[in-house]
Amino acid sequence: MPTISVTVARDVTEAIKVPRALFLPWPMGHHFGVPFHRDLQRRVVLAALGLLESSEQPGTILDLPIKWADVRREAKTLTEQGRKL
Amino acid sequence: MTAADPREVGTQLRPGLWHTINERYPGSMIRNESFVPQARLRKPLGASRLTLVSSCGVHLKTDQPLDVCHPFGEFRFMRVPSRAKHDDLIIHQLKYPHDDADLDINVIFPIERLQELVEEGRLGGLTPNFFSFIGYNMDPEKFERTVAEGIAEAVVEEERADCALLAPA
Repeated sequence: MPTISVTVARDVTEAIKVPRALFLPWPMGHHFGVPFHRDLQRRVVLAALGLLESSEQPGTILDLPIKWADVRREAKTLTEQGRKL
Repeated sequence: MTAADPREVGTQLRPGLWHTINERYPGSMIRNESFVPQARLRKPLGASRLTLVSSCGVHLKTDQPLDVCHPFGEFRFMRVPSRAKHDDLIIHQLKYPHDDADLDINVIFPIERLQELVEEGRLGGLTPNFFSFIGYNMDPEKFERTVAEGIAEAVVEEERADCALLAPA
């Protein structure tokens, strides 16, 4: 069964040697971003699915280099705009 | 010299987690000596049926909650209908911050984003059920025998998944 893991703990993922993973430098429990940020959540899901299709080496870990500070700034904007689900 | 803020430089927010877990909970982690081989997709994503598995502890509000007070871990797993929406779901898990996921479940369990990708034809479909459990436990062998093998069997035999998205909370 082809699997893709989305992880915020690169060292744990390296240690347990999963077949392939997408790493986000984000907090635990926030693998797909922040509330109501559909575009970001979608971007992470699509990046994960892309890796599911493309990776060939066991243990591949792809970094999605989006800084948490930038995500937080976008989250603040969303909150100010009063966006809801 | 102060260390660089990982939020600003884009490195793991909680460095040394593997070491910390093994120090605090010796023997609690499943270990592999070699890489798990890669299975490849047998058909394009647009024709594949995807399942979602997460240790985030989410389930229907109408389900008996996962036991967050069990001292050794909860060895049940939950089936989450893939048609469910944020308002149908609740998280019972104490081992990670889920305040944001309580506002929008897609933060840790992107069920609605996956539903949209099916509607757009980017994914062939979703398994009728997704899967969730509490990752914290102190008996990895029992965990593997019950939760891990139970989910794996259900994903293959009952749900007929072609591929799986894993979100270890």
